[in-house]
Amino acid sequence: MIGPSRILPKWRLDLEDLRLFSTCLAGGLLLAVMTGPEGDLSTPLYTVGHALFTTHVIGFIIFGVVLGAFMVYNKKVRSGILNATGRNWIKAIPTNVKSFILSSGLIEKIIIGVVALVAALLIADFTGPNVSNKMSWNQLVGQLLHTRTYGYIAIVFWLLNTMRVRARSKDEVSKAPSFFDAKWVKVLGGVLAGLVFAACADPWLPVRFSLSYFKWSGSSDRDFFHHWTTYLWTFCGLLIGIRAALQDQMQRRAVVVSRWKARHIKVSANTRFALYAGALFIAVEAPKFISPFWQETIFQQIGIFCLLAVGLNVVIGFAGLLDLGYVAFYALGAYTNAYFSGALPIHPPFTINTFFVVPLAILVAMLAGVILGLPTLRLSGDYLAIVTLGFGEIIYVLASNLTNITDGAAGTGPAGSFSMNLPGVHFALSGFAIQDDLNFYYLLLAFIIPILFFFNSLNHSKVGRSWAAIREDETAARSLGINGLKYKVMAFAIGASTSGVAGVLSSAKLGPIFPSDFALQVSITVVVLVIFGGMGSITGVLLGAAFIGWILQFLIFHSFIDYNQADKYMYLGAILILTMIFRPQGMIPSKRRMREFKNAEADLGSADAVGPAVGGGLT
Amino acid sequence: MSDVTNTTTPVMTTDNIFEVQNVTLRFGGVTSLNNVSLEQHRGEILAVIGPNGAGKTSLFNCLTGVYRPQEGIINFHAAKHGTVDLVGKQPHRICHMGVARTFQTSRMFNALTTFENIKIGVEASQKSGPIGAMLHLPRTRREERESDHRTLDLLELVGLTHRLNTMADSLPYGDRRRLEIARALGTNPEVLLLDEPAAGTNPSEKLALAELIRTINKETGTSILLIEHDMRLVMSLAERIYVLNFGEVIASGQPAQIQQNPEVVAAYLGATADEGDA
Repeated sequence: MIGPSRILPKWRLDLEDLRLFSTCLAGGLLLAVMTGPEGDLSTPLYTVGHALFTTHVIGFIIFGVVLGAFMVYNKKVRSGILNATGRNWIKAIPTNVKSFILSSGLIEKIIIGVVALVAALLIADFTGPNVSNKMSWNQLVGQLLHTRTYGYIAIVFWLLNTMRVRARSKDEVSKAPSFFDAKWVKVLGGVLAGLVFAACADPWLPVRFSLSYFKWSGSSDRDFFHHWTTYLWTFCGLLIGIRAALQDQMQRRAVVVSRWKARHIKVSANTRFALYAGALFIAVEAPKFISPFWQETIFQQIGIFCLLAVGLNVVIGFAGLLDLGYVAFYALGAYTNAYFSGALPIHPPFTINTFFVVPLAILVAMLAGVILGLPTLRLSGDYLAIVTLGFGEIIYVLASNLTNITDGAAGTGPAGSFSMNLPGVHFALSGFAIQDDLNFYYLLLAFIIPILFFFNSLNHSKVGRSWAAIREDETAARSLGINGLKYKVMAFAIGASTSGVAGVLSSAKLGPIFPSDFALQVSITVVVLVIFGGMGSITGVLLGAAFIGWILQFLIFHSFIDYNQADKYMYLGAILILTMIFRPQGMIPSKRRMREFKNAEADLGSADAVGPAVGGGLT
Repeated sequence: MSDVTNTTTPVMTTDNIFEVQNVTLRFGGVTSLNNVSLEQHRGEILAVIGPNGAGKTSLFNCLTGVYRPQEGIINFHAAKHGTVDLVGKQPHRICHMGVARTFQTSRMFNALTTFENIKIGVEASQKSGPIGAMLHLPRTRREERESDHRTLDLLELVGLTHRLNTMADSLPYGDRRRLEIARALGTNPEVLLLDEPAAGTNPSEKLALAELIRTINKETGTSILLIEHDMRLVMSLAERIYVLNFGEVIASGQPAQIQQNPEVVAAYLGATADEGDA
């Protein structure tokens, strides 16, 4: 430490810094390419020169540079080479802004107003429905007249006011409560903000402000009060309002109940809430603006991949069991759906709505998981992997050969699709229209988001800790009263039922289903997703699934060489090998897993996905 | 418990917690424990000593269900469940009945914090399952709170409160042994089996450990069965001692009697002379 810093001047960058910086820059470029104007089946590739000067590529490059610079700076501060004045200054920004707002006179108020206006304009400009590829002054000015701009101005000023009120109520406790401190004002404010937000996020917002757009009696999906996102965002606004109203109580309770937990959590509850809200916003709104081709890819492949990966993550990541026959449960879900919609040669006693097939498929897959798990989970490591592999093949062969039950390789009739016709809620998924993709996506989202929350709380509960204990040292875990077999079967069943849900959803979209949809390769792909993303980390496997799902499609249009669909396993293999060499713990590993890897390197314990019986097996 | 087996209740005037009768454990042709019998009174600190390879840890493994002895009965008189024969029971069932143990080489969950390590032991006996955990049902939340408080109490008992958020693998060795004891205590045992708790600790840590074991024994009334090599620690702690050699009990009694027993001295000195074992 002392050596290099004495020889080199303070600011001199070493190779590590350059690597960090270029990783950030490359990340920015990658994001730009991923979201960029892609070649389509009909349109050729954009030239590099053309692509580089689009607004958002420039934006992402700037993002990469800023992130890289910040990371390098942060690293220098951490290692004590630079002092932390700059970082402290950055950290103090929110406090300073608050006190600035609080103590502002008329001139300061005007400055704040102008800054807020510019911010609102910029946000409006970048989120507009018809942002052109080139940055232009005309467009910026044109946005001034857009309804969306007014909305964002309103939101920014609402935020400013909230900050002002909160800052004041924090500093001057003794002061009599103002109008803005009342609980009902906060709740109502939240609802109003949600409504304004919904209007801003609506892609079909009229360019000129018109009241007729907001009428109740509209019938088209483009009318404001007829669109479900309006209600979603209003509801979110209501939640935020309630949260703000109860904040003081919540904080007091949190301090009392879990003062020893506070240090586990790196980011504050508010930051986390904001992150979740941002992710939800992007997940709901962003797909409306992307091209139909990517809509189809995202909704059909990446969505299902995500669901499968999150489920397998419970088995591999949480419980540490290697399951290579995961696709079997996916197939069971799909065929359950086909059976109950009468698409198979054998007919059910009654056909039921696909929404009700979901719980049935969960039951079937879970039962299959328990039946397979009970005898086999006494095995460990390799043996378990081989038994599950065999189970996957059995289901595949059964699906192909039981022609009088499954129609065999010829494929079934169209499996049941989701539709709902309740008073006020109409939902149908029937044809091959583009709008269908969007609907299917939201349906997937409605399944995935609760599952994410469930699995996250599962991982941080008694069950998750027991899994971690079994993974690390089963003998010790059993001596503490943890029933190893029970928890393993539980993980297996939970993973299997998630896969079953994915099967129903995917069959509802695909229509006819073929045994080849459930070949071994699908299992392997999902294992690759989990390992690439980072075992045990929900964020990791989601991003892993999204990235690999994207790259497999991307290669079709952007490959240097002739790309064949059949080649994709070669690319997957390459990704897996590169992951193993450079980052064996996955892109975004969970903290527990990361420590296990560190210990394994120091020979303290085993970090295999498959337990201590196998040294250097899969991972 | 449905499988309570009331085998021939021996005529014992004192209140026994463990009665090991004629236990024999063989691995192929090797006899690890040969016709071992011992009994432990309730609330007693009992020590098992013996040279290396005498079968002490094998005895522990039989008591906790890791090994299944070929012959013999292990009667456990639990306050909660009545008399149970532990032979052939699963380790986690035995733990729920009230037998907790630590290991000779420390077996922490290294990727978890000190707090989580202990909490795993505390909450293993709780009822809530995966559905409750997923949906944050009231019972799960209540049990979480209870186990949090119990964990904090245990941390305080073993003096690791300041290490709350430390990873188990970055604890110093002495603290790791204390953590393991706390983890075992978390399961609310009636009898605590300690397998060489003082191995690898320095003299001052040994003193503190002996104090801790005495405190646990006095305050919670937990019976303690102890394997230890450090004679000074054993003599100061234990109320009675059993001596194992080559899988057989060669002596038992008060510490003072054991010290004078010629057979014990021979076993130890012999071992010392042959293997150079200190």
